[in-house]
Amino acid sequence: IDISLNLCAEAYIPQKYPDNRIVSSKYTFWNFIPKNLFEQFRRIANFYFLIIFLVQLIIDTPTSPVTSGLPLFFVIAVTAIKQGYEDWLRHKADNAMNQCPVHFIQHGKLVRKQSRNLRVGDVVMVNDGETFPCDLIFLSSSREDGTCYVTTASLDGESSHKTYYAVQETKGFQTEEEIDNLHATVECEQPQPDLYKFVGRIHVYQERNEPVVRSLGSENLLLRGASLKNTEKIFGVAIYTGMETKMALNYQSKSQKRSVVEKSMNVFLVVYLCILISKALINTILKYVWQSDPFRDEPWFNQKTESERQRNLFLKAFTDFLAFMVLFNYIIPVSMYVTVEMQKFLGSYFLTWDEDMFDEETGEGPLVNTSDLNEELGQVEYIFTDKTGTLTENNMEFIECCIEGNVYVPHVICNGQILPNSGGIDMIDSSPGVSGKEREELFFRALCLCHTVQVKDDVLVDGQKKSPDSSRSCIYISSSPDEVALVEGIQRLGFTYLRLKDNHMEILNRDNDIERYELLDTLSFDSVRRRMSVIVKSASGDIYLFCKGADSAIFPRVSEGKIDQVRSRVERNAVEGLRTLCVAYKKCTQEEYDEIHELLHSAKVALQEREKKLAEAYDQIETNLILLGATAVEDRLQKAGIKVWVLTGDKMETATTLFKLLKTSLRVLSKDEDLAFIFYVSCRLSNDLQDFGLIIDGAALSLIMKPRQTGSSGNYRELFLEICRNCSAVLCCRMAPLQKAQIVKLIKLSKEHPITLAIGDGANDVSMILEAHVGIGIIGKEGRQAARNSDYAIPKFKHLKKMILVHGHFYYIRISELVQYFFYKNVCFIFPQFLYQFFCGFSQQPLYDTAYLTLYNISFTSLPILMYSLMEQHVTSDMLKRDPSLYRDIAKNALLRWRVFLYWTFLGVFDALVFFFGAYLMLENTTVTINGQVFGNWTFGTLVFTVLVFTVTLKLALDTHYWTWINHFVIWGSLIFYIIFSLLWGGIIWPFLSYQRMYFVFIQMLSSGPAWLGIILLIIVSLLPDILKKVLCRQLWPTATERTQTKHQCLSVEQSTIFMLSQTSSSLSF
Amino acid sequence: MAWSATSPGANQPDNTAFTQQRLPAWQPLLSAGIVLPLFFCVGLAFIGLGLGLYYTSNGIKELEYDYTGDPGTGNCSVCAAAGERVAPPPANCTCQWCFSLSELFQGPVFLYYELSNFYQNNRRYVVSRDDAQLSGLASALRHPTNECAPYQRSPAGVPIAPCGAIANSLFNDSFKLLHQRLPGGAYVEVPLDRTGIAWWTDYHVKFHNPEPINGSLKLAFYGTAKPPNWPRPAYDLSPDPNNTGFVNQDFVVWMRTAALPTFRKLYARIRHGNYSAGLPRGAYCVNITYNYPVLAFDGHKRLIFSSISWMGGKNPFLGVAYLTFGSLCIVTGFVMLVVYIRHQDENGEDEDE
Repeated sequence: IDISLNLCAEAYIPQKYPDNRIVSSKYTFWNFIPKNLFEQFRRIANFYFLIIFLVQLIIDTPTSPVTSGLPLFFVIAVTAIKQGYEDWLRHKADNAMNQCPVHFIQHGKLVRKQSRNLRVGDVVMVNDGETFPCDLIFLSSSREDGTCYVTTASLDGESSHKTYYAVQETKGFQTEEEIDNLHATVECEQPQPDLYKFVGRIHVYQERNEPVVRSLGSENLLLRGASLKNTEKIFGVAIYTGMETKMALNYQSKSQKRSVVEKSMNVFLVVYLCILISKALINTILKYVWQSDPFRDEPWFNQKTESERQRNLFLKAFTDFLAFMVLFNYIIPVSMYVTVEMQKFLGSYFLTWDEDMFDEETGEGPLVNTSDLNEELGQVEYIFTDKTGTLTENNMEFIECCIEGNVYVPHVICNGQILPNSGGIDMIDSSPGVSGKEREELFFRALCLCHTVQVKDDVLVDGQKKSPDSSRSCIYISSSPDEVALVEGIQRLGFTYLRLKDNHMEILNRDNDIERYELLDTLSFDSVRRRMSVIVKSASGDIYLFCKGADSAIFPRVSEGKIDQVRSRVERNAVEGLRTLCVAYKKCTQEEYDEIHELLHSAKVALQEREKKLAEAYDQIETNLILLGATAVEDRLQKAGIKVWVLTGDKMETATTLFKLLKTSLRVLSKDEDLAFIFYVSCRLSNDLQDFGLIIDGAALSLIMKPRQTGSSGNYRELFLEICRNCSAVLCCRMAPLQKAQIVKLIKLSKEHPITLAIGDGANDVSMILEAHVGIGIIGKEGRQAARNSDYAIPKFKHLKKMILVHGHFYYIRISELVQYFFYKNVCFIFPQFLYQFFCGFSQQPLYDTAYLTLYNISFTSLPILMYSLMEQHVTSDMLKRDPSLYRDIAKNALLRWRVFLYWTFLGVFDALVFFFGAYLMLENTTVTINGQVFGNWTFGTLVFTVLVFTVTLKLALDTHYWTWINHFVIWGSLIFYIIFSLLWGGIIWPFLSYQRMYFVFIQMLSSGPAWLGIILLIIVSLLPDILKKVLCRQLWPTATERTQTKHQCLSVEQSTIFMLSQTSSSLSF
Repeated sequence: MAWSATSPGANQPDNTAFTQQRLPAWQPLLSAGIVLPLFFCVGLAFIGLGLGLYYTSNGIKELEYDYTGDPGTGNCSVCAAAGERVAPPPANCTCQWCFSLSELFQGPVFLYYELSNFYQNNRRYVVSRDDAQLSGLASALRHPTNECAPYQRSPAGVPIAPCGAIANSLFNDSFKLLHQRLPGGAYVEVPLDRTGIAWWTDYHVKFHNPEPINGSLKLAFYGTAKPPNWPRPAYDLSPDPNNTGFVNQDFVVWMRTAALPTFRKLYARIRHGNYSAGLPRGAYCVNITYNYPVLAFDGHKRLIFSSISWMGGKNPFLGVAYLTFGSLCIVTGFVMLVVYIRHQDENGEDEDE
């Protein structure tokens, strides 16, 4: 078989096909180190630290390269190990995939080979349950009708079985020899990632005859990664292999989303970088001003070497500048990045562990696909949800049908007991006449035939033999749950769909006779048309077109039938929140059908614009229908007690009902005919605020979004945005998937740049999930595509509440404290060093010892903040869930605003001033020991450092509201560790050190009484402003959170009182 | 009891207090009710402590004399003028500072010298030493570290021991205290205890002389040069064999670099004989051997007699800081109390409405 990949027939591009190796790994053994390092140093922070490290290596700097090299090495190594391990796993998976055996045909014989040796054009045999090794054109199957069932669960998550069709001309080839004799050419489009799109053509050359041309569509293409079900074996020819398969093309990673916190963090980083540079600059300039006196630059006791004297002045100044940069570089801590990463990664486990979010039914808990956005969950301002799949859980039940205005309910109520399987029906309206009876049966037949439901073959699947008459209990499978609900409902009304065999649909009618209809054509469902049709030929030779779809899609195409009655019923049902579908039919003559068939065929064979041509053909065919009736399927509604925007594909009435459930009451505000705008206002009587709601449909929306030639293009869009922003809830209905994403984008890019969250469960929500700041998928029954593309996946919509109100809130307050605290503690750390330069002749003399410089961020102050950022709960989770208004306290990145950031920075500067000048005044020109001996510069630094470590740790202790034993352990443990380390570090002459400057410094310091008194005083003075601010703010301007905290404390007191009282009363009553 | 037959999912989360974020926790609240009493307590305690510190510090006596020798300020100006901008300075210029005590200078009395504008904390200066050499390591003795440059090797290329700028600039003024018990009587030398002025650990552990060869320290130092400013090599620093070489008290004291450009270093303690209780009243003279040039860098030299309490030397800072801060606490406490009470009223009214 020849394969040619053509964009179009005219431009043939000679193609080099890749082999069938899948490479999902990023690195090889050889390029791992350079490539990984390159990628890591592309991060601006890592690069910055690398530069600092190199500067330290090259020039003579005050601190040893170890101080910045060690942490950097640690960070890089940990990340590299993690990424290497992940890549090793990918390699393993790739190898397993590439080496798995494949059967294929060579010279009429079955050969086993490794999957990676497969080439385009090879004919492959796949057995039941096996996975397709590459993208195959389906040639023939062991089933006589040339179909096979496939599950694409590993590709798009749709667990249902899909039917694929073999090429008509080749479906007879059953043996290897026959297949080997096949001569054919396949033309197909260039590989593209869309799983559901494929356009191709096969030329089959038969002896003597003209070659036959067949169109190939996605129903002929078996995708790599999907697996064969319920079919013994199939033959297929490989057309896309290796990295060109649709699965491989879909591997592309999603675009990176960044959280608001991360953005603020980067802004703060830039601020600190500016501070750092200006500090270094100021010191460099002052140094040269100060040094202008020669006796300062080079006093007799501290002379320079000859080479130092001869160095160029500018070079010297530049080197000094770099040295100052190195000295102060700790103000941007490398450890912050590690801590933030760790906090996010470890913190995300609390989400997956949460018992409340675990779904017993499916046995699944929440999934975290990216932990980068944890804190974004606490910042959500807009929630976009898709009602169809999310507010309802897709547990559908057939409620009623309405035929010609008569209503049927598919069960009888007998002695108060519901008999679900009885074949009888309740007539609510008057009994139908003779023609009515005919119509009724036609309606049921229509519902029985017009669908894409498959019957699960019990005998084959379970291996259990069932008696033939138990056929009623057969299991239906479909990608759409309401189709199943309908077929099951019709079964209860007496018509059972049996199976599709040899292109004939078999149904069991009320009289237990089997009726066979030849399935001529299926006009499949799509979300634009919102309807589907089948064309069948009955045993008597009549050709029918049955059409089923949303009422808005059917009514305009209906020419006959009791439209008004049906419409009123449909609207009533819609208002009650039922999903409605209308059914219509048309009878064709053979000539008419031939015409239709020709139209369809030409559209299907088209290589270019096939979709468009098909849609046009469908549009032509589905006209002049006769309305039969309508059905109603119930969606089980879920509670949604939070503010949401609903973007749904449903019709407006259903949407309105939902709206009612969300808000208290709705009233029509105005109706603009032009734009089909409908405003609703909901008045909340409980408080004076009026909450506005807006309902708009897809058609109106596309009008709004459409750019206008007149130049007033922006007007509607802005008006719409303006209105939307003032509404507390907005409902968009009849939306196409792309429109959903458009809406999300519109809001995302509006002036205030609000944080959006999109939640959905279907494939049609993916675009919106990818577009929003946070995308949440529901691990629903409609497949896992949404869940796979989302940032977080939850089993049920109801879990969203806890996810946002509790987890999001926690994540946000934790990480914002983490970020602010990190900057604060490093200001405290470095600012004294800056001040010290004014007293040491701007000579870059470090205040602290190297060990302290290195370990400050790594071990003395790292664990408490990490634990805080994992454990902190300023308000209990129950409280957060109960009182959503607390969420407003943190809205708009409240804890990382400039005001807060400046407060923290100034607090840091204040503390640093206290540390430095406290120590300065204490040790200036005096001795503080009882034996009269004096301290040196290292004691001075150690004193400052001790105060620093204690203050910074205690500041965190002050901020901690939730003291578990872990917090106690790390906070007090860190302080004790600092003391023990200092005792050890100064207590021994370390043989590997070239200097012994810290020898006994710490112990000598502790032997001095005033040092103790000074340390205590300085710690308390540094902490006081913060305590004062906290208490005053709580007293004068309490936030909702603080009020709740206070109330909670009072409550716990009161509760115990009440408990005591009730005990007293109960003891009295007995 | 009918348990559900379906087994829970394999990925059912653990139901522990930790994973469910329900660990028992203490949830303290920084409310005014707690903080107010705290403020008053801390304030009172600090004021008490501050008073104690203040009076202790005030009880410490200090006697200070600037002997830099600025022109017209006593007889040290001659030496200063002679030694100006000469390094090394001419040896053995002496001057005198005389004072009289009308009452007992309560002991123990410590003698300090103070240098100002001397940047011992300059980075180039701080690193200019070799701790390995000073610890008596034989290999380091003849191979001083590069950080000692330009005091690493003599012009002839001989390694300097002890190397580095700190050692080279060793303070070499010396003082002799004379006491005239009776007016017109003879001056008696007051014994100065020059031991125990350096940290015990420095003197005994950190600093070591190189192993003497044949009992001679001089041989151990063979092949090294003296620091350029030193009048004699290290092994001749003092005639006392226990106080010479690297383990000389003055040297060890000097090697502990000061934190600030104005610093004091301990010179001697007065605690022997009749002077163990302090310096009795009478006239005193300090004979100063003026060697160390400071005018070159605009520095000053001072001589200080100071008594020592449990909190060390005279330093009013701690006492004043404690007093100020204690009072500040009390004042803020009162302010907060007012705010608290007024706010409480408002809250009460709010609740009534």
